[in-house]
Amino acid sequence: MPVPLAVGFGKAAEICREVMGEEGKRLGALRDRLQDLILSKVDEAYVNGHPTQRLPHNLNISFAYVEGESVLMGLNKESALSSGSACTSSTLEPSYVIAALGVDSELAHSSIRFGLHRFSTEEEVDFVGRRSVEVVQRLREMSPLYELAKEGVDLKTIQWKGE
Amino acid sequence: MAYSDKVVDHYNNPRNVGSFTKDTPGVGTGLVGAPECGDVMKLQIRVNLETGVIEDAKFKTFGCGSAIASSSLATEWLKGRTVDDAAKIKNTDIVNELKLPPVKIHCSVLAEDAIKAALHDYQEKWSKAEAEAPGAASKE
Repeated sequence: MPVPLAVGFGKAAEICREVMGEEGKRLGALRDRLQDLILSKVDEAYVNGHPTQRLPHNLNISFAYVEGESVLMGLNKESALSSGSACTSSTLEPSYVIAALGVDSELAHSSIRFGLHRFSTEEEVDFVGRRSVEVVQRLREMSPLYELAKEGVDLKTIQWKGE
Repeated sequence: MAYSDKVVDHYNNPRNVGSFTKDTPGVGTGLVGAPECGDVMKLQIRVNLETGVIEDAKFKTFGCGSAIASSSLATEWLKGRTVDDAAKIKNTDIVNELKLPPVKIHCSVLAEDAIKAALHDYQEKWSKAEAEAPGAASKE
């Protein structure tokens, strides 16, 4: 084990012990701000995971009727997010973590993970929230699923022709 | 992942997004893919019943950027073609034009399926109706 790494890790642990409580509260408040901003503007957006027993810096939302990777593509110039979408992987199976939370596969393809960090600010949160809302709304305007849902069609009753 | 400039352009400025009413004369609709697979494309053509030329095409797609780009490109290529010519569009043409990487080839396959489904729907609804339109005279 290289000594500098061990010393660095020790120092990191020390800082963590000192600020984690306070930092957790700060990040939790920022996370709630982001969540409220998005959910107040977008219908059929669902928070994945436990409502309270969860990490303070993590927000995972499924936006019905839009695919996760297409959402990332709209935001990737200005923020680093991730998705449970499996579009780029070889299996086309969405994230098993999201699936294990009981999220059905349609919504698992639509999940976006927002991660906050020690230096995240309110301004950044507001910006990312606003942009996410814009991108989701734009993609819904070109989503055949959103159109069908607005026409009152229950998507589960459609006989889909798979790939 | 890196997207080609053409994929980014179609994603940012998708061509021909929208819908025709399904029972408009000459309109054929293809709906392919499945939500649980992460891709659904709806592609529509509006054919001039006199000339057999596709005068307009529209799409809506649920899917990644490459799926959106593949269907957007398909509508561009469909406009102005005859129905017979439209059937010749191959997924490999889309792959080449958009420089899709191997993991995105299924997007181009789905776009070809959507074209075929729209053409099939058009033929079922309008081409056959035209053939039978002369009525009793043409019936055996």
